Amino acid sequence: MTEPIIVVRDVRVELGGTAVLRDVDLTVARGDIVAVLGVNGVGKSTLLRCIAGLQPPASGELGVLDRPPSDGSGFWRDVVLVGDEPAWYPGLTVQEHLELMHAVHRSSRLDVEAALGLFDLDKRRDMAPATLSTGQRQRLSLAMALLRPSLLLLLDEPERGLDSAFRSRLAAILTEYAAAGGTVVMATHDLEFARDARARELTLEAAA
Amino acid sequence: MNDVRTVRAFIRSRGRGPTSWSDRYVSLFALTVAAAVLADPLTGAFAKLTAISRQVDPSRLGAGIALVALAYAGFLSLARRVGPVVLPAADAAWLLRSPLPRRDVLRRTSAILLAVSLASGAALSLALFAVLAGSAAHGTLVLATAVLVGLSAAVGGMAAAVVAQSSPTWESWLRGAVVSLVVAAVLTAVAGSGPGRQVLTAVTPTGPGRQVLAAVTGAPRSLGATPAGLSAAAALLLVRQAWRALGRIHVSSLLATSTRAGHVAAAAVVMDPGALTWAAEDNHWRARALRSRPWPALLSRGAPWARHAVSAPLALAWHDWRRLARRPGRLAALLGTAALPALAAQAQGGLSAVAVAVLAAGALTAAAVCTAGARRDGEDPGLARLFGVNPRAVLAARALLPALMSAAWLTFALGVLTVTGALTGSWWLLGPLAAPALAAGALRMARRRPIDHSMPVIDTPSGAVPTGWVVWAFTGVDVAAIGCAPMLYALAVQPPDTGAFVTAQAVSGFAVLAAFLLGAKTGVRRG
Repeated sequence: MTEPIIVVRDVRVELGGTAVLRDVDLTVARGDIVAVLGVNGVGKSTLLRCIAGLQPPASGELGVLDRPPSDGSGFWRDVVLVGDEPAWYPGLTVQEHLELMHAVHRSSRLDVEAALGLFDLDKRRDMAPATLSTGQRQRLSLAMALLRPSLLLLLDEPERGLDSAFRSRLAAILTEYAAAGGTVVMATHDLEFARDARARELTLEAAA
Repeated sequence: MNDVRTVRAFIRSRGRGPTSWSDRYVSLFALTVAAAVLADPLTGAFAKLTAISRQVDPSRLGAGIALVALAYAGFLSLARRVGPVVLPAADAAWLLRSPLPRRDVLRRTSAILLAVSLASGAALSLALFAVLAGSAAHGTLVLATAVLVGLSAAVGGMAAAVVAQSSPTWESWLRGAVVSLVVAAVLTAVAGSGPGRQVLTAVTPTGPGRQVLAAVTGAPRSLGATPAGLSAAAALLLVRQAWRALGRIHVSSLLATSTRAGHVAAAAVVMDPGALTWAAEDNHWRARALRSRPWPALLSRGAPWARHAVSAPLALAWHDWRRLARRPGRLAALLGTAALPALAAQAQGGLSAVAVAVLAAGALTAAAVCTAGARRDGEDPGLARLFGVNPRAVLAARALLPALMSAAWLTFALGVLTVTGALTGSWWLLGPLAAPALAAGALRMARRRPIDHSMPVIDTPSGAVPTGWVVWAFTGVDVAAIGCAPMLYALAVQPPDTGAFVTAQAVSGFAVLAAFLLGAKTGVRRG
């Protein structure tokens, strides 16, 4: 196994006095794709939030890129989190959101036109994100996440709202991202999508 | 009993019980106590207003009429934006899409609109009376005219807005009426002001200009039965049209306004005024056709001059510039409001506390409307995390536009105050120097957390004060007030030489912005 990017040992998380995660262990190496599976409420999103530094664990060890995760700009330069739909900037179009992402990063994995084409947004480029369908807004979130350079991609139910054809394409995009040295940890309910992406499966058990 | 009454009676029977005698007694008692408590202060205020009005200098008539016209334009705009015909969410969901007669379903809403119109008309009448009473000999006639014109204007305006909801033609007429009112207000203010009067008199010493001024100044004397009767007749016609239009309002229009009203109600329940502005903002952009443009080359990552640490925050901050440029009408209206302090000063015969308050509030508003990016990231840090740019650097970059806008607004407002004679000297210099503090205040306001309703409520002799609301309302205003203290003090005392205040303002403005940027919490908020 190559160098680990994420190390989670005996992590326990409590929310409102109830254990949501108990004794969770996970080691993810560079180039890995991990699919976190499990029934609703088992703690998949909570685990992603722990790795993103947004949810401090009650006990256990947690390391991301050789340091404890922290909610700061240095951390977010290397790590990308796509969770709930973000609040889009008012007055900007789909293309301009991508242009903005392209402008603020020294290098990009994709140029704007390529991202619009890859995520089937080229015919929606001049629309405000609020006017798109749920699936199209999810594509925009993913396009922004995959346009910029990063070492680690944390995706919370990336298949949400996507049609089955695009799920297959997304699986291929993620495989390509990992082949280029990136690491992906995603919470998902779609086993077929996880297998298409050639992800290692981690099934969480209920803590309570 | 018609169908709608049957439905409403059924709904009432499943909810609360029928109104008892005890309920009626409590309502009547509450109304009597309210009338007894309010009667004395209202009578006193009216007497005071009448006394003040008798001493009003007729030369201030133009400014007063302009303010009343602007208030009426605001009333019409608000009616248009609200709907004005809206239904509660449950009625919109169940009664609207049923075979019940549309006009009967809307009967209760119509009664509420009439009550709102009458209340607004009463306020308009009072304002008209305050403006007109001082320059007319017959107080009773002026009072009757003001009441009739005020009530007719409000009721007629609301009726026109109801008709406009079902007719695009009326909608464009109403929009035109609002614009005409604003233009007329500006012209009246200019014609009534010192320089405007001089210009008109100089250009046409005995011609139309003088006649216009004479007509404006002499307007109250000529106001009488004819205009009041005409406005009442027009209002009655409009009400008749509105009653006919109620049956024709399209269900989609009613659903849209009712959904909007639902957002407003939800925001009122959770007491989050910010949610209201986002609902309006998102609705605006949803309805607009935009054309994508590339980000400026100077701010793009390939720019040779810019180091990444500088260009990335500036690129992110450019969003606010683009958003502002895409609403030129709003920008023009905002800059147009820079004349309001001068108008208030003119109406009150000098730079009063009200005029200074309008000046300060306007300058802070000019800065605050340019902070959408900071507000978005403050409320939902998802995109900020996705961009991964240093938040302090982004905050500094985002201070540029609010500083520029407030500098322009304040400089213009102080310039107009100087031109109209309310101030003398180089007061405009204070505009750019106060701008950094205003930008800091606006950004602090944009990043404030929602109202904390768990904070204690303090009992004071004037009533209970919810501290959560107070802290929320003053967050941002506090920093701006501290940073603009030299300017505000100078406006209060109006010294003959403003040199020392200009220096103090320069120091305090930049010091407050620097302290704000250095002290701002830069950790991306937990979401």
